[in-house]
Amino acid sequence: MGISFVFLIGLTFTMLYFIYKYNRKKNPVATQIEGSTKLEIIWTVIPTLLVLVMFYYGWAGWVPMRNAPKDSFNIQVTGRMWNYTFQYENGKTTDTLFVPMNKAVKLKLISMDVIHGFYIPAFRIKEDVVPGREKSAWFIAQQEGLFELFCSEYCGLDHSYMYTYVKAMPEQKFNAWYVDTTKHVDAAVVDSPTANGKRIMKNIGCFACHTVDGNKLVGPSFKGIYGHKVTVTTGGNDREVTVDDEYIKKSIYDPNADIVKGYNKGLMQPYVGQLSEDDIKQITEYLKTLK
Amino acid sequence: MQTAAQIPHDVNYLDYKGKYKGIFAWIFSTDHKRIALLYMFSMMTLFLVGVALGLAMKLELIAPGRTIMGPQSYNAVFTVHGVIMIFMIVIPGLPAVFGNFMLPIMIGAKDVAFPKLNLLSWWIYVLGAFLVIASVLFGNGIPDTGWTFYAPYSFKTGTNLLPAIFGAFVLGFSSILTGLNFIVTIHRMRAPGMTWFKMPLFPWSLYGTAWIQLLATPVVGITLVLVALERIFGIGVFDPALGGDPVLYQHLFWIYSHPAVYVMILPAMGAISEIIPTFSQKHIFGYKAIIASTLAIAFVGYFVWGHHMFTSGMSGTAQYTFSILTFIVAIPSAIKVFNWISTMHKGSINPEIPFLWAVTFIFVFMIGGFSGLVLGALATNVYVHDTAFVVAHFHFIVFGGVGFAFFGAIHYWYPKMFGRMYDKAWAKMGWAFFTVGFLTLYSPMFYLGMMGMPRRYYDYLPEFHAANILSSLGSWVMAFGLVIVIINLFRSAKNGPIAEINPWHGKTLEWTVPSPPPVENFDEIPVYGEKDGPYNY
Amino acid sequence: MENATQHSDPHYDQEASKLGMWLFIFTELLLFGGLFLVYSIYRFLNPEAFRLAGEELNLTIGAINTVILLVSSMTIAMSTSSLQKKNKGLTIFLLEVTIMLALIFLINKYFEWGVKFEHGIWPGSQHLVNEMSKGEILFFGLYFVMTGLHALHIIVGMIIIIVALNKVQKGIVNENRPSLLENAGLYWHLVDLIWIFLFPLFYLIH
Ligand code: HEA
Ligand code: HEA
Ligand code: HEC
Ligand code: CUA
Ligand SMILES: [Cu+2]
Repeated sequence: MGISFVFLIGLTFTMLYFIYKYNRKKNPVATQIEGSTKLEIIWTVIPTLLVLVMFYYGWAGWVPMRNAPKDSFNIQVTGRMWNYTFQYENGKTTDTLFVPMNKAVKLKLISMDVIHGFYIPAFRIKEDVVPGREKSAWFIAQQEGLFELFCSEYCGLDHSYMYTYVKAMPEQKFNAWYVDTTKHVDAAVVDSPTANGKRIMKNIGCFACHTVDGNKLVGPSFKGIYGHKVTVTTGGNDREVTVDDEYIKKSIYDPNADIVKGYNKGLMQPYVGQLSEDDIKQITEYLKTLK
Repeated sequence: MQTAAQIPHDVNYLDYKGKYKGIFAWIFSTDHKRIALLYMFSMMTLFLVGVALGLAMKLELIAPGRTIMGPQSYNAVFTVHGVIMIFMIVIPGLPAVFGNFMLPIMIGAKDVAFPKLNLLSWWIYVLGAFLVIASVLFGNGIPDTGWTFYAPYSFKTGTNLLPAIFGAFVLGFSSILTGLNFIVTIHRMRAPGMTWFKMPLFPWSLYGTAWIQLLATPVVGITLVLVALERIFGIGVFDPALGGDPVLYQHLFWIYSHPAVYVMILPAMGAISEIIPTFSQKHIFGYKAIIASTLAIAFVGYFVWGHHMFTSGMSGTAQYTFSILTFIVAIPSAIKVFNWISTMHKGSINPEIPFLWAVTFIFVFMIGGFSGLVLGALATNVYVHDTAFVVAHFHFIVFGGVGFAFFGAIHYWYPKMFGRMYDKAWAKMGWAFFTVGFLTLYSPMFYLGMMGMPRRYYDYLPEFHAANILSSLGSWVMAFGLVIVIINLFRSAKNGPIAEINPWHGKTLEWTVPSPPPVENFDEIPVYGEKDGPYNY
Repeated sequence: MENATQHSDPHYDQEASKLGMWLFIFTELLLFGGLFLVYSIYRFLNPEAFRLAGEELNLTIGAINTVILLVSSMTIAMSTSSLQKKNKGLTIFLLEVTIMLALIFLINKYFEWGVKFEHGIWPGSQHLVNEMSKGEILFFGLYFVMTGLHALHIIVGMIIIIVALNKVQKGIVNENRPSLLENAGLYWHLVDLIWIFLFPLFYLIH
């Protein structure tokens, strides 16, 4: 894009020069020139050639970005309002993207709700994550370290907080981490029976919309939720329900069946397939403690 | 409507007393000049709101974390900022104000072809603006989708989006009607002897613009209606849960909105093409080439919308086709720049205020345009798409381009419109502050974008801090310049020295009528002879 | 639109108002053009579902409505030419017939939609969302939007014709100043033309 700078500077100076040279004071009578076909042709053709060159470089740099090598390492990325989760082929699930160095990594991009933008500036990749479509992106990390991963497509309230990190590790270190299939949950010290539930919720991002301290974000707060009565709208009719195990499970697997009054339909997406019944039991245990 | 015999010819349009009194003499007037001023004042008001919101954003971004507002407010602020600026200011801006005022005079007509329709367009414009404002003031929450209303977020958000969408739709309708009016006016009402190739360049650019308005606006109209229906009934066309495709929405949206950016810039280029020859006292260089490039931009501009969607999932063929067309559309702009600069060559340049604005226009337009080329190249686009780089690009070109042209135009035609001259020293100072502020405000955003800061970000990581401070400082300098410019223009409308009929020694027809022009512009329709032309100095 | 043609200023320019009307019609076509585009894309993506859903529409009502519109197009065209022949009475009669036909069209439409509603088919209905495939949801979504928008145009067209009728009666629109009537006619042909596209798309193609 150096050409652009040359043109910018060149033309600006020509312009300034003309303004100075042909100032009224110096050149009181203008010479009338109506145009020149030759010049017009020259300055149509030259920029055309230049832009074609630019196009070529843009294109050539882009083609290899399209297709991932066959032997890439596969990771599934799920984007939702407002966090990403990463699932590895052996079932590991994380909220930070761990990748081996010097190996092609292929990402399968899935969105649960609205369009997000998967963006890692350090590796120069960006791809929109579109609900209802399966998209992919790939890269090779050549350096060890921690790199930023943003959501680049505007997706609502906490769009600017929808970022996490990519952690690139040397292959052996990565493998050691990878084969440790004891899930994320077990990494923490189990200090109370409800810690698991909290951890799961943190990993999958419930707290993007819900608080535990009574403040209202996008969804209702979890404070004192268990055992309370709430008014919900089911298929257009209001009714009152008491929050129990069944209701919580339904709220997670089919959130749009009962809509809590004062909130909007369609924001929370079903977590079928992402949270097991067992996970939900643990979440429920945790919710019970929030008095 | 009065018949011709009743209208006195020696009264200027500002003093003229018609059927109605007071404010009604304005809001029910079918005089194209009064309608132009109506547009100008309504836009000025909205524009100041938009500027205030812009400044609020910059203040918020001066430091990471919360400064003056929460994320929900920030999202609402940039949405309303974008909607106001795009749909209410820069798209209708130059055509509605200067087009309405100058087009009939420049082609030697007494009014536009359908004066009542013209007034109706203004009313529709006001209605649209009110709808958008209603969405801010009432209901549960200010719209927070961004001005692009991307599906599916636009029917998931709980905020009061419907009035805003209908508002945008209604504004589109107003712009269709104005476009229609201008096309008919230009076809039917040119002065005798003024052939197509004797028409000044500003009307020419309005002609190209009007066609884009006519051809592209209905598509976005129907798209917005679909989003609204989707929100109310859930018809499913853009909702992936019901089988629809959100990317289709983007296609339909940009099919309009890319041509719309040329709706903004063409009249601006037209105005520049008037100012430069006048102050160089010289025939415009390459008159026909400029016309050809206007039409070429209008035409090719239809086929490049995909460059907004390089990352949203299109086939590879589509991607490079759009990329190459994007580059092609830059050529006509380049031709114009070369012609403007050549016009100055060997001219007799009188660097008055309008000329200064015009030259700065060329400068910032080039920067904006070159950054557009960076965005048009596939590899670089993927990297900087949806980052602050894009924000810098479009502020440079939209508001650097259109804004500077607007101020150039207003300083150029001001003596004609109000019959008075502004204070030149103040005007020059306003211009200087404005330019410096502008460059400090937006240049850092290029850098931020290259560093990877995404756009529409309420909060950012500490490494982006320094550039953001600089940019916020710039916003205050520019606002200061803007205040000077506006106060100067306002004060002079009443108190400025009386202006001559032709203070700049221009050759187009508007400089032959008194300032301010009489009600029906011309006592007798001027006749263009064999040797007459708009730029024969 | 109406203003485009009504204005009674001294520079009455028939050519100009005709040009204006044509441009306006052009934008209307583009408006529906956008919808046709959406329709064809989804039809291409869900051919089977669109075929199935199309069979649920009532071909007879559709066909009757097509004939009605074609006849009404004819009557309004005839009214223009009878105005030129200075036959004011006939003009008014033909315009009334046109309005009647439009009304019958709407009544038919009302019953057609009514039947759909009875079957639990309307945009966003429980039945649609739960029991039909995504392609069918799209088909009916588009069906309601496009025919609904078209019905809206019929209503607007009727209003314009009524205004024209009124002015013919008062003699404001006469053989020397026929623009309003001609433009009403043009608009009506447009409404008709759009239906000619809608009919095969929804009812005929299987
Ligand atoms: C007035 C409005 C306007 C104008 C005129 C333009 C003009 C151009 N725009 Fe811009 N654009 C916008 C308004 C505008 N744009 C807006 C509002 C957005 C953001 C929308 C959103 O997402 O919110 C946008 C976004 C945008 C994108 C998408 C970015 C992204 O989201 O990823 C792209 C990509 O290609 C692009 C490209 C271009 C190009 C190539 C031109 C060209 O027409 C520029 C041509 C001009 C020149 C090239 C300079 C002059 C020429 C010379 C001095 C001669 C020398 C030239 C050569 C050698 C070639 N623009
Ligand atoms: C014409 C268009 C226009 C104008 C003038 C402006 C003016 C300003 N804008 Fe911008 N802006 C947009 C169009 C515009 N903007 C759009 C479309 C978006 C995207 C929204 C989205 O993402 O959805 C955006 C987004 C945007 C952001 C990014 C939000 C984000 O991504 O996080 C920021 C951040 O600082 C910003 C700042 C400002 C500031 C400080 C000003 C101002 O304060 C600067 C002051 C301006 C002036 C001093 C004068 C300019 C003069 C004229 C234009 C002519 C006047 C015409 C008449 C009076 C009729 N704007
Ligand atoms: C995108 C925002 C969002 C996310 C993420 C989210 N929710 Fe919700 N949630 C909502 C909204 C909005 C409601 C209220 C409307 C409704 O009932 O569907 C809600 C309602 C609920 C309710 C019923 C609350 C009550 O007071 O009756 C429960 C329980 C719940 N969510 C649990 C969860 C769990 C567990 C998670 C994480 C696995 C989660 N939510 C993630 C937005 C979200
Ligand atoms: Cu997710 Cu922005
Ligand atoms: Cu574009």
